[in-house]
Amino acid sequence: MSRPGPRDVVPDDLDAPFWDACLRAEFLVQRCGGCGRAFWPASSCPQHGAASMAWEPASGRGTVHTWTVYHHAYDRDLADEVPYVLAVIELAEGPFFHSDLVGCDPGDVRVGLPVEVVYDTVRPDVVVPRFRPRDAPGEPPTADEGKS
Amino acid sequence: MTEQGRRLGVPPRELRRRALELALADAGVERGRVDGYIGTSSEAFDDVRYLGLAPHFAWTMQAGGATAIWSVLNAIGAILTGQATTVVCVYGAAPTAGVRRPDGRVGGYGGFRYGYPAMYGLIGAAGAHALHARRHMHRYGTTVEHLAAVAVAQRAHAAVRPGTLGYGAPLTPADHQASPLVVDPFRRLDCCRDTDGGVALVVTSTEQARDLPGRHVPILGLGTGHNLRNWWTGEVFDHHDDVATAKVTAFGQAGIDVGDVDVAALYDPFTISPIMQLEAYGFCAPGDGGPLHAAGQTGLGGLIPTNTGGGQLSGYYAAGFTAIVEGVLQMRGDGGATQVPGARIALVSGHGGNGGVQNTWSHATMLLGAA
Ligand SMILES: [Zn+2]
Repeated sequence: MSRPGPRDVVPDDLDAPFWDACLRAEFLVQRCGGCGRAFWPASSCPQHGAASMAWEPASGRGTVHTWTVYHHAYDRDLADEVPYVLAVIELAEGPFFHSDLVGCDPGDVRVGLPVEVVYDTVRPDVVVPRFRPRDAPGEPPTADEGKS
Repeated sequence: MTEQGRRLGVPPRELRRRALELALADAGVERGRVDGYIGTSSEAFDDVRYLGLAPHFAWTMQAGGATAIWSVLNAIGAILTGQATTVVCVYGAAPTAGVRRPDGRVGGYGGFRYGYPAMYGLIGAAGAHALHARRHMHRYGTTVEHLAAVAVAQRAHAAVRPGTLGYGAPLTPADHQASPLVVDPFRRLDCCRDTDGGVALVVTSTEQARDLPGRHVPILGLGTGHNLRNWWTGEVFDHHDDVATAKVTAFGQAGIDVGDVDVAALYDPFTISPIMQLEAYGFCAPGDGGPLHAAGQTGLGGLIPTNTGGGQLSGYYAAGFTAIVEGVLQMRGDGGATQVPGARIALVSGHGGNGGVQNTWSHATMLLGAA
């Protein structure tokens, strides 16, 4: 199975600081210096535009805002993955982040479930953050965790 | 409108040609009178030649299922600014033969993907709508039985409407529950199916329409809304689009309110969509869209007969044109076995992907009056 990386699905590098940080197992969000609101991915603040935006470290934690379980593989590359959980994470800093949930039985997912980031090395130079339930046992996340 | 169905074996631009000629005949408009062309696919420029038109302009639009109403809105803009007198809005697609997608792959609409979420397997419109459905279930207690009620209610309409996928084949809630899970909570019968077909609309001024032999349907109001408004407030998943501003604009132009609507033709790619829209338009309180369907209030004789041709779920999927066609049929009294008696005002809606990391941003509202 070949997971796409960020540059396979988005054709520019405006989020490069975020993806570069993932290589160091760091999770960033953009924050507006004008109002303090956090955003993801790269964005203009609806009040203050892009000039006051800066990437900064974030917790890599959040809760499940909404979710679904794919039982049908819409891509042949996902045929071995179904059923998988696709969730929208509400990051602790505020923004939404779409991710699949790893280490989570589809029957256990619910709105409000606390989750944390793990870093999945999909190729030697591509690390993709994914999320798992925060009460999952184990060591703090490393760059090699989260593979399914 | 052409025949609508699966595997028709007719190329999209030929579907558009047939749709156009049917529409011109219906309106009583000579081909040479068409001076504006709005295509709803990316292939409009060769259409103009193939269709034998000589317009002042030809442009294309794409906002998913909101495109159909947007095309009418833009046609009116062109007429009001003196660019044209007679604009055709033309749709024709054959997704069951394979759609070439932006990523170069070929498949049905179910394979659409966008941006970073695609890395994680968010592919196809069903998954994106499922996120809204789950949120609605969490917030209001909407159940899979409510989703089933939508599928059953709309199939009841299609079952007596010749030419639809569901003609002659009513559903029971048990049928719905027996269909396979696709993207939880959606089962196959919560999803519309790709169909091939063409639809063309002729848009002209009221004065010109009066001189034409066709039975024109007046447009009373149009409105648009965009769910990015709710992205900034963190409520984007509680709405699959933004009905609020579209409703205010359209109903304001028409000078009516929701209680005046006799029949609703709502964009319905999935069963959650009519539930959320009937709430957002104010036919019922937030959270009551499921119970409204379960109580039979969206059928003939109910509070608001909805998708009386079976909608896209059970009728045919013409990317937003399905709802316009049904609104026109009802306003002409041509709804057959599911004609709403004496209907004077139809609410037509569309919504579609347009704008970023989440599906279903745009909403468009059109209010039609009796022919
Ligand atoms: Zn700001």
